[in-house]
Parts: sequence; C-alpha cells; structure tokens
Amino acid sequence: MAEPEWMKSAPTPISSVLVANRGEIACRIIRACQEMGIEGIAIQSNSDIGSLHSEMADRVVNLPGTSLADTYLNSDAIIEAAKTCGADAIHPGYGFLSERADFAKSVTSAGLIWIGPSPDAINSMGDKVTARRRMEDASVPVIPGREILVGDNENNTIDSLVDAATSVGYPLLLKASAGGGGKGMRVVREPKRLQQEFTAAQREAETAFGDGTVYIERLLENSRHIEVQILADNHGNTLHLFERECSIQRRHQKVVEEAPSPILDSKTREAMGAAAVSAAQAVSYSGAGTVEFLLSSDGSFYFLEMNTRLQVEHPVTECISGIDLVEQQIRVAAGLPLPFNQTDLSIRGHAIEVRIYAEDPSLGFLPATGPLAVFRPPEGPGVRLDTGVRQGDEARIDFDPMLAKLIVHGSSRDQAIRRMERALQSFVILGATTNVGFLIDIMRHESFIAGETTTNFIDIHYPDGWNTENSNSTAAVLAASAEFMGLHRNHAKSSMEDSGRTTSNDPFLLLSRRFP
Amino acid sequence: MVDLQDSDGKIWKIQVSGSPVVPISIESDGAAIDSSEISISLDPRPNRLVIHRNGVEQVAFCTKVGDKWWVHLDGSVLVFEVIEPGASASGNSEGELTAPMPGKVLEVLVPEGASVSEGQPLMVLEAMKMEHRILADLPGIVTAIHYAPGDQVDAGAVLLDLDTENE
Repeated sequence: MAEPEWMKSAPTPISSVLVANRGEIACRIIRACQEMGIEGIAIQSNSDIGSLHSEMADRVVNLPGTSLADTYLNSDAIIEAAKTCGADAIHPGYGFLSERADFAKSVTSAGLIWIGPSPDAINSMGDKVTARRRMEDASVPVIPGREILVGDNENNTIDSLVDAATSVGYPLLLKASAGGGGKGMRVVREPKRLQQEFTAAQREAETAFGDGTVYIERLLENSRHIEVQILADNHGNTLHLFERECSIQRRHQKVVEEAPSPILDSKTREAMGAAAVSAAQAVSYSGAGTVEFLLSSDGSFYFLEMNTRLQVEHPVTECISGIDLVEQQIRVAAGLPLPFNQTDLSIRGHAIEVRIYAEDPSLGFLPATGPLAVFRPPEGPGVRLDTGVRQGDEARIDFDPMLAKLIVHGSSRDQAIRRMERALQSFVILGATTNVGFLIDIMRHESFIAGETTTNFIDIHYPDGWNTENSNSTAAVLAASAEFMGLHRNHAKSSMEDSGRTTSNDPFLLLSRRFP
Repeated sequence: MVDLQDSDGKIWKIQVSGSPVVPISIESDGAAIDSSEISISLDPRPNRLVIHRNGVEQVAFCTKVGDKWWVHLDGSVLVFEVIEPGASASGNSEGELTAPMPGKVLEVLVPEGASVSEGQPLMVLEAMKMEHRILADLPGIVTAIHYAPGDQVDAGAVLLDLDTENE
C-alpha cells in the first residue's frame, strides 16, 4: 500500500492497526483506518466468526476459544497476532484491555505502537485513590471520599469500613477501586445495609476486575454527570473538545448522552474545560481521554475519574466539534502534532446518542437474548448508527448487551430530540426485546425536553421500569397483523430463512399490488 | 378465528377474512373491539404489511421467531404467541421461582426447609458480571432448591420451590 499523504511527516508511521476489540467499536476503528488509507486488522473469537467487525476488516486473525480469557483478554495472543500479521500498532478500543497499563507496556516492549496514553498515565488514573491524590495536587476539585483498608481480620475491616462511612456521610457510594461501568458499585442509604452491600461490592469487584479493593465516597444526589473530552499530542498540546452530558443512567450504566450539556453556562464550561486540561497535564496525558465531573445542584463541580481511552459516547463530541477522534488518536500515536488549537474549536449544533440494549425494560431491564430476525436501522440527514450487529445476528449474553448506538445531530437541542424520536420510531428490531420503546419515551418526557437530566432521572421517573403502553386499538391492530401475517406465511419469512430466495411469484404479492 | 396471547397474558381472538384488503374482527379478553375502521393489506416487500386505520395508512413490520409473532408499528413492538387449541395456558405455576435471565448461581442464601418472608433474598444470580437477587414473592417455606453455587441456569429455569400455603 502506498504511504498516505498524512503520514509523510510522521516520526513513527503507522500503516496497519490491529484492533484488539469486537462489536461496534471495532467496526468504528476499522472504518477510520480505512479512511486514513491504512489497514484495519480484526481479531475474532470462535463465537465471533462471521461477525460484522471481522467481515469489515482488511484482515482477521482468529483467536481460538470462546472465553474472554482465551480471546479478547488474552494479551499474549493478541500481541503475537499483531506481530505475525505485521501490524504496526494496536488500538484497544474501550473495555477489555484498553485500561490495562501492563498490556500497554507489553505492546510497546514488543516493538509495536500503542494507540493510547502511556502506561504511567493509565496507572495513575486507573487507580481511583492515586487519581484523587494527583488531582488534589493539581488543584482539581474532588468529592469527599476514602478507601477501605482491608484489615488482617474481618473485624478490622468492618471497623475501617464503619469509620470511613461515618467520615464520608450517608447516602454513600461503594465502588471498585479498579473498576468502571457500574460493576462493583453500590449505593448505601442507611448504616444497617453497609456491611451487606460492602460484601457484594467487594465480590463484584473481585469477579470483574480481579481486585476486590473498594472505595467509598459521598453520593451527590440530583447531580449531573458531565464529562470533558481531551485530546493531547506528544508536542505539549492539550486541548478539550467541550463537554458531554451523560446524566441519564441506570445502575451507573449510561443510557442517553448528549453534547453540549443543556444547562452549562459558558463560564462553567470554560472552568470545567480548564480543569480537565489540568487533570490531563498532571499525568502527561497523550491521545484521547475523558475527564468525568459531577456537577452538583449548587453549581460546583468535582473530579470523578478520568477514562484513559476512547469513550462509548465519543460520537456526540465528533458531531458537534467536527473532529474525528479515532483519526486524531492514530495521528498522535504516529507522533504528529494536533492540526488545530483550542481557539479553532467551537460547538456546532447539538448531538444526542442513545444506547440500544438487548434488554427488557418491563422486567427490570434484564438482559434479553434472541435472533435479530429483522434489524432495520433508521436513515436520514443527521442520523448516524454505530453498530456491531446486522440482521441475522443474534443478541447473546456472553458480552455486553449493547447492540448499537444511535446518534443524531441537529442545529438545536429541540431539533436533535425530534430527530432522535423519529429515528427511534422507525428503527425496527424484531426477534429480541430491546429498550427502543423506552428510549422513545425518554425523548418525549417533559423533564428530558426541559433539560432536567440528573443522574437519578430514571429512578425518579421510572421507578418500576417501563412498560409498553399501547392503546387497546393499537394492540388490536398489531394482533390482527400477526394473524394476517400468519395466513400469508411466505411473506413473513425472515431474511434469515429465505436468504436469496425470490418471492416475486407469490400470488399474494401480486394480489396485493395497489394501483392508484 | 385464532387465539393470540400477548406478553402481558392478555388473550386476543382475531378473525381475518378475505384478501387483499381484509376486514377483521377482534375480541380482547372476551370484549369486542370496534374494528370497522381497520383493515390490513400486504405490502409487496417481505415482512411488511399496510394497516389502514381511520383513513390513515401505516407500514407495520412482522416476523415469526419460534412460535411467536413479533410486530412493529411506529416504534411499538408487541409479541404474540399463537395459542394452539387444547394447549394449557403457559406461565409460571405458583410457588416456583424461576431464573429471569440466563446466568450463574453465585450464592444460595437459604437452606431447604427455611421459612421465608415476602421480599426476602433467596438466591444471588450473576449475568453480565452484575448480581441479581432472587426474592421470595410471598411468605412461605422453601421446599426444594434445584441449583447450587457455580451452576449455570437458563432463563425460565425453576430455581427453588416455595410452599406458600402451609406457611
């Protein structure tokens, strides 16, 4: 492959990238590589053979096995695969090995380029306790909190737990020191539940991250989750690409994200952006990263954590800034300076992302499984779909229940909301239960429309989950449709069953022709 | 005439006659629904049909997965199971606690024979690395425990039997 133009002056050129991930984010990164004129190489486990990300890639390496430990978490096999197929660099995506400093280190010691921040930066931000100290040193405000020191016997631990809880105050939050994504996270409102929830949090942390250390902090209620996107190069430039608001969450899993925040004034935006830049500079950050803040109801904000990787919700920032974050990550890793500075950046319009999960909102949002017999995404101006699945795939439980991300961009927040509502309404997914109906309901919710998006939005407005509320006549129409389709079975063959077969000779199809 | 059951357990009696554009008659849980303004016709594209309702036409998507019909109209999805004549109504029989999703049993919190109160946690399941507690829906006595920690369970598997009568 001829060297693409952008790489000519790069100190460490990258002509192929192995993507150490799967699903929608692997597709997203492979697409960026192809746009930049470089090769995108996928890895796949046995259960992902034929999946969208491996089909899209220029090449694919099979990692034998189905368990995570054998495949997407198998750092030795991934590095070996990259060396065997001559990849120059490894992009970790999000999740999996993306925030593992030891993996980043092994990648560079194998002579490959790591598309991400230095192992030191990952380490200091990955451990919440170290991160807090570094932020305090850099004068970035932090939430009152303490680490639970596990003593040499149970009584010591309980003493230390009770002591920390008392000093932090109720309601409080227990979180895995090593973690993220809501795993190992528990809310405690009253002292009598402290010990039970601590045990559960510790166990979840141990299972999910192999580290049972639990951190305790004050739960700020009615606060907003606002995060700032950072980009830094290795030439001393650290910029912020404004904020995203990710307040609509369920069990600390984000559901709706938007940029810019509906309530931030320009003064707070500037202060938060500056704090995020200081946070990144404090750990000599390089590449794309996200500094998360809680904005309390009195307008003060606190450093929550820094995610030293690409974020799931990065597309909303790409929409409003016009910057392709994955492209910039690759350019920075190739040693190039950022091609713009802070004053070149501005906010254009408003973007919203929703996460399409295979889950049942009427059953406490339990993960759902099933074939994607019909999967027909919306299209149109300002509509973007980042998906890891297509029609004919299956919603499975072995990975994250997220199927796809739907992103809209409009000139105003109102337009973006209307656009998202329309897009969701025309998103047809049959065969596995999803949260699409619930997301439509959020788009129509007067509090969401008014921008009253606090982190307890779902708990307040949907305490019992969410149920399809169809009028009796709509339900009747749908039931009649099912029966009608049953009479015309040939017409209802899902694309999985009749791929390649033509139905043009179906007499019912000819009969149903309508002439104006 | 066919009986369909939606996911809430509601029974729909549907009669569709004629083609291509068909009038329908609908009963929901025994009560007739006015369907004089509703008719349906096929759309030439697969999995699609056209609903004519009060002079408005809308495209619905419909497909069968296993023995269930999935129907999408304007952002709403409903799932209907065809009730075969003679089959008994499905659903959980009382006193059984079933797994709401596939996963792994992490912990059994009560012994067999335990007397439990409503809302008491009985078992902890793990799926997607998150813990979910199985709670007693009524007070009663645990008469059988079918799984041990470490066991994998499918959605709908009966986890424990609860005698709620002779508590």
